[in-house]
Amino acid sequence: MTWLIWRQHRTEVCVLGLLVGMFGIALLVLGTQAHDLFPGGPARCAGDAGVNEACAASFRRLDEEYGFVENLLAGFYLVPVVIGAFLGAPLLARELEDGTWQLAWTQAVPRMRWLAAKLAALAAVTVTLTGMFTALLTWFRQPFDAWEGRFQYDAFDLEGLVPVAYALFAFGVATAAGAILRRSLPAFGVAFGAFLATRMPVALLARPAYALPLTTMEPIPVGGSKDQEAPSFADWMIERGYADATGRRLSWTEYYELEAAANRAGANLNQFLHARGIQQFKVYHPADRFWTFQLIEAALFVAVAAVLIGVVVWRVRRRMI
Amino acid sequence: MTATEFALRTDGLGKRYRRGWALRDCTLALPAGGVIALVGPNGAGKTTLLRLVVGLLAPSTGTVEVLGHDVTASTPQTLSRVGFLAQDHPLYKRFTVAEMLRFGRACNLRFDQGLAERRLAKLGIPLDRRAGTLSGGQQAQVALALALAKRPDLLVLDEPVASLDPLARHEFLQVLMGAVAEGGVTVLFSSHVVHELERVCDHLVVLNHGRVTLTGDIDTLLAEHRLLVGPRTATDLDQASAVVEAVHSDRHTTLLVRDGAIPAAPGWQAQPVALEDLVLAYLRRPSEPSAAVTSGVAA
Repeated sequence: MTWLIWRQHRTEVCVLGLLVGMFGIALLVLGTQAHDLFPGGPARCAGDAGVNEACAASFRRLDEEYGFVENLLAGFYLVPVVIGAFLGAPLLARELEDGTWQLAWTQAVPRMRWLAAKLAALAAVTVTLTGMFTALLTWFRQPFDAWEGRFQYDAFDLEGLVPVAYALFAFGVATAAGAILRRSLPAFGVAFGAFLATRMPVALLARPAYALPLTTMEPIPVGGSKDQEAPSFADWMIERGYADATGRRLSWTEYYELEAAANRAGANLNQFLHARGIQQFKVYHPADRFWTFQLIEAALFVAVAAVLIGVVVWRVRRRMI
Repeated sequence: MTATEFALRTDGLGKRYRRGWALRDCTLALPAGGVIALVGPNGAGKTTLLRLVVGLLAPSTGTVEVLGHDVTASTPQTLSRVGFLAQDHPLYKRFTVAEMLRFGRACNLRFDQGLAERRLAKLGIPLDRRAGTLSGGQQAQVALALALAKRPDLLVLDEPVASLDPLARHEFLQVLMGAVAEGGVTVLFSSHVVHELERVCDHLVVLNHGRVTLTGDIDTLLAEHRLLVGPRTATDLDQASAVVEAVHSDRHTTLLVRDGAIPAAPGWQAQPVALEDLVLAYLRRPSEPSAAVTSGVAA
């Protein structure tokens, strides 16, 4: 079986391996240079240390010289999806397209063993390739993460566990779609579309709700609204705004009315707000929730993949293909 | 006859797809040894029946027993006793012929690589060519060599020669019959072409509209049926159970009857019937659930 799986899927594995390898080398070269901007490592500039002068200079150069790479990489959250869909789509669809399922399943290897071997091998390749790619990207982004935190969409979706989960999700969707549509290319498209359709609602609606966000509420200092110590920039800000003395949140219209009133009175805005007991609130997820959130989101996508693979196994077992 | 002397036994076998029944109430008992032809028009349910036999499909009703074993169990042992050549003889098009043989060796318990290589060498099919670049006839031969190298006890072929030109068809059947002559293998193949069958087959199953309409040993079937030609009669002979088909011309009536059932009346001539006419007569009959005619060993 090992030889057969390799022979049937070596083209995809080689193409994807080459792709990951090429991106990997580019990232390694650029990443080494970017890391060199931070003597002692980018971690030393993370958090409050980032305000010192040496770190600020490093960050400035990082932004000037490698900012474009970071922007390019924002689109790379699709790479794991391509890997998973590219390996999953032909698993059954190509056999069904070419009629060779009739050949494969009438040899002495029972179809369930055949399917289990294929699923295990190709899922392992998916995990390995995305794992390598993600490890490299996570390393590459260390200086950027020290600067911006890891909760932004261009960091959270590219690092840690979730890319591997995205890849398995795409693998599951592509395999199941291939079993039902009996065509590789549409199955690939379905997996891609399904991921794009899922990712937005998950990132925008589900992800902020993985845990109850924290809220800080502080009176506006007279001296002006310089950013409070906490939450720090690495935290994930969900919402910020103003509340009155009782803690009732003000709408932005109400806030602008206050601002206009301060202008009419010719008063300093901060003093004006402070005198009325207006408070500033922030709703956020602290930076140390990164791995919890990664685990939750990864579990979500892997669970969907498992259900879809279960459907495929059930269909093959019941000989519905 | 004990169970294992049957190559294939089905009982009340049926398969329903979403669009309806493809096969219904199929009860067969086919002897081991020899060549069995499964005949019927396109869409009669031949492919469905063959896929059920090799375990590619699960029956909706009834059971299938191949060589004394339930095929739905699909153990390596039962799978290795049955060879299957699907319609259009699918191969992995990007594999070379040698890789196709390696596939056979990797996926089977008793694959005879030497046998397959000898067969292909005799046919002049190079091992280093990609399967997709071979001619249709050569692809069919590679698929057949693969199926035979499994050393199956039952070889099932779905329309094996339908897509081949006359020369390739002749060569294919020659190889197939050569393998049968070497002994040990029962061949079950489907076809919608009726002529040539008599030369090749021992046993016949006629399938129409998803139902078995006739089954039996070919010699017995031919001996049992005959054509009666006589003056045109007005009587409604179609209703008589022994009359398979009545054809009326201006002056004559031709009846296809099962032997012994109708005494030869004066003025009537009895003639033997050709296999093709026999099959066509059964295919023209309207389908009824109880219309299956069984003959030979299964009777």
